[in-house]
Amino acid sequence: MVEKTTQSAAPPAQNNGKWNVPTGRRTDEWSQALVSVGETQDRAAFTRFFRHFAPLIKAFALSGSSLSATHADELVQEVMLKVWQKAGGFNPEKAAASTWVYTIARNCRTDMFRRLQKFDTPLASDDFELESEEEESFIVLHTRRGSERVRELMGELPPDQAQILAKVYMEGKSHSEAAAELDLPLGTVKSRVRLAIQKLQALMEA
Amino acid sequence: MVKHHPPADFLTEYAAGVLPMAQSACVAAHLSYCQRCRHIVERLEDIGGAHFEQLDPQPVGDSMLDRVLARLDDPEPLRYARSEASDDRLPGLLDRLINGDYADLAWKRVTQSLSISYLKTGDLDHEFALYRIAEGGKIPEHTHGGSEMTLVLSGGFSDESGEYHPGDFIVREGWDKHTPVALEGEECICLAVLDAPLRFTRLRHRWLNPLIKLNAG
Repeated sequence: MVEKTTQSAAPPAQNNGKWNVPTGRRTDEWSQALVSVGETQDRAAFTRFFRHFAPLIKAFALSGSSLSATHADELVQEVMLKVWQKAGGFNPEKAAASTWVYTIARNCRTDMFRRLQKFDTPLASDDFELESEEEESFIVLHTRRGSERVRELMGELPPDQAQILAKVYMEGKSHSEAAAELDLPLGTVKSRVRLAIQKLQALMEA
Repeated sequence: MVKHHPPADFLTEYAAGVLPMAQSACVAAHLSYCQRCRHIVERLEDIGGAHFEQLDPQPVGDSMLDRVLARLDDPEPLRYARSEASDDRLPGLLDRLINGDYADLAWKRVTQSLSISYLKTGDLDHEFALYRIAEGGKIPEHTHGGSEMTLVLSGGFSDESGEYHPGDFIVREGWDKHTPVALEGEECICLAVLDAPLRFTRLRHRWLNPLIKLNAG
């Protein structure tokens, strides 16, 4: 489904301290901007949000070089329009703004791939979304701390594990596509992903 | 209480958006039953968010901002309405695929106690089907080439390795032999996603394909 490329979105091997770790209640600039967009259709906040995130969405569209520049621009517009439409559903207690935008970009990219391949389906990625639910506050707190820990840990993963996660998440490669590109056995790719996830899980449950 | 969950590999590929459509739909249906896996997927999505923040920003001109701002007041595209007739305990996405009641589907009777209805997801590499097993009914011992995902939707069944109830997610490889039996008291409905049967992709063999039963798509 994706063309081969030598370009890689893998983060640098040593990036300790580079990952942004949100702390406390999410009152960071981007969560606040999203909340304003959701509550008051604040166009100024949306514009700030656009200037920060649109270049990242474009980078996401181009990583793995599976989309042309025209399609990448189309994706940026589609994702930003969804940001505007869905901002009311953003809960700063539950998700980081960047993760929230990432999931929208991921879904739009998947739908775009399917459209380009004339994939005939009654489903769109939005159908996979679950109704948001009321949750106990301790679960929300747990969730938020987990999300911070994931970011903390990302900087500590060995480069070989970080590289595969970047291929899978940013370039949209399945484990077997990643294995073919990196010329590694599928089992090696799966075990690197598994090791990375186990570290995350150990932290989450700590 | 859901006791059987998708393996971490599947959840990771799901969170990264790289799981094939049919398998992705099966995992999503499990998530609608399982808070534990929903939380794991949220953390796995944070891996995506963390990578996303670190991408090298690519220039986007102000003309694009203007185009987006000009479209903010466009009405949201309509998704077609959901069927009202179906069981509201069903995950929304299955609701959309089934588009009505179980009874309205085309069921193909395989044995006295087993009927199968194939649903179209658009994924040509995987068969996506509902299995309806009469209470206490057996599915004949079977093996096949690829992997098989099963999600219990109602009723339950047991096999050599345990007992399964609504929301339980089971993965089997084709070489595992197993003989599921539906629990007594209620018919069992499961969603099953199978790697599609052998397809010939070499040009000189393609003429054989129409002779092979394909239920994927």
